[in-house]
Amino acid sequence: MKRKLLVVLAAVGSMAMFSGPLPAHHGVAGYDMTKTITLHGTVSKFDWSNPHVVVYVDAKNEGGEMQHWTIEFAAPVHMVRAGWSKNSMKAGDDIVIETHPSRNGAPVGITSTITFILKTVVNGQALPVRSE
Amino acid sequence: MPIRVAILTAALAAALGFSSNLPAQTAPDSAEAKPRQPGLMSGGIPDLSGTWDADFKGPEGTRVNTWDSSDPFAKHPEQAPMTPWAAEKFKGVRPPFGALQTFDNTNDPVQRYCDPPGVPRIYMYPWELKFIQTPKAVYILYEYTKVWREIDLDREHPKDPDNSWMGDSIGKYDGDTFVIDTIGFNDKTWLDQTGHPHSDALHVIERFRRLDHDRLELSVTIDDPKAYTKIFSNTKVFRLTNAPMGETLCAYSEMKEFQEKVVDKTQTPPGK
Repeated sequence: MKRKLLVVLAAVGSMAMFSGPLPAHHGVAGYDMTKTITLHGTVSKFDWSNPHVVVYVDAKNEGGEMQHWTIEFAAPVHMVRAGWSKNSMKAGDDIVIETHPSRNGAPVGITSTITFILKTVVNGQALPVRSE
Repeated sequence: MPIRVAILTAALAAALGFSSNLPAQTAPDSAEAKPRQPGLMSGGIPDLSGTWDADFKGPEGTRVNTWDSSDPFAKHPEQAPMTPWAAEKFKGVRPPFGALQTFDNTNDPVQRYCDPPGVPRIYMYPWELKFIQTPKAVYILYEYTKVWREIDLDREHPKDPDNSWMGDSIGKYDGDTFVIDTIGFNDKTWLDQTGHPHSDALHVIERFRRLDHDRLELSVTIDDPKAYTKIFSNTKVFRLTNAPMGETLCAYSEMKEFQEKVVDKTQTPPGK
């Protein structure tokens, strides 16, 4: 499936107000929480399990090269309490998703902890978000 | 293990039998619900029934990362009043939280090995807890890792308790407060999310008090003369919730897979 838009560097700096480390199974040291990017691609796998929900997204970068992104969310229990479910998406779905990317440049990001959920749109339908 | 199963069965049977007499505690349906005075059960003891969730908002909530109120967010975890023994141990920790947080090869025993978080670290995780009050014991059920504790109301500590992950707990009601006194720990757990160690001399006092109908305050006091030169304490707040407890077991296979598929990828520059 051909995807048009790719990795768009979007809002930067708006998430830099974290007053402390985010509690969960682990901290967020591997991610650049001051940077938010938007990916547009296809869900290749939706892994609804502990310790954290993970969605795998195939999206092209600005050079047209396909990248395989791994995007972390909060634990399933916390996602349920925010209005998500195991059926929120499935492989093959179109997805537009914001994420805080890894610091080292790997195609890995974090889109939700217990305190926030960034914008995620699946097949044109927005899933529940949570602001910090 | 038949003995453990028998004990658990008896405990739950007692708990269920007793809890049927309790008034139902549920979270308000709307944000407009007015706070009420903390409820008391017959006998004048505080009513802790219901399910309590970590407070996601505010400085007293889930961002609290230490039990030292002078550094609640772990901005200076190295400045805790540690003895030389504890300070040396602390040098070796690689915590995933706090000012010293790292993703690179953390040695957090919970994240690395799915060790039980133990008491009091279990309260640092953002999951629910539920109290079951019976005449002779109070049971606390923790959503995170699905562990439970029995706090006996009718006995003293053993003179020489075994060392354990959760310790030996006895409790009493003190006015509007439920006080838990725990000793008999092993020294394998961290006190908090930032890796502060403790010894087997750890003595923890938990005080639960309802601030109002919807909020439950926990005050934790740490007394460990082998590890700390001072006694210190901090508080956290929980909120009454209607959300049913879910499954948050720490399965080593899942943790390992997550480590490899997500965390490890953020540690090494791509291509190396």
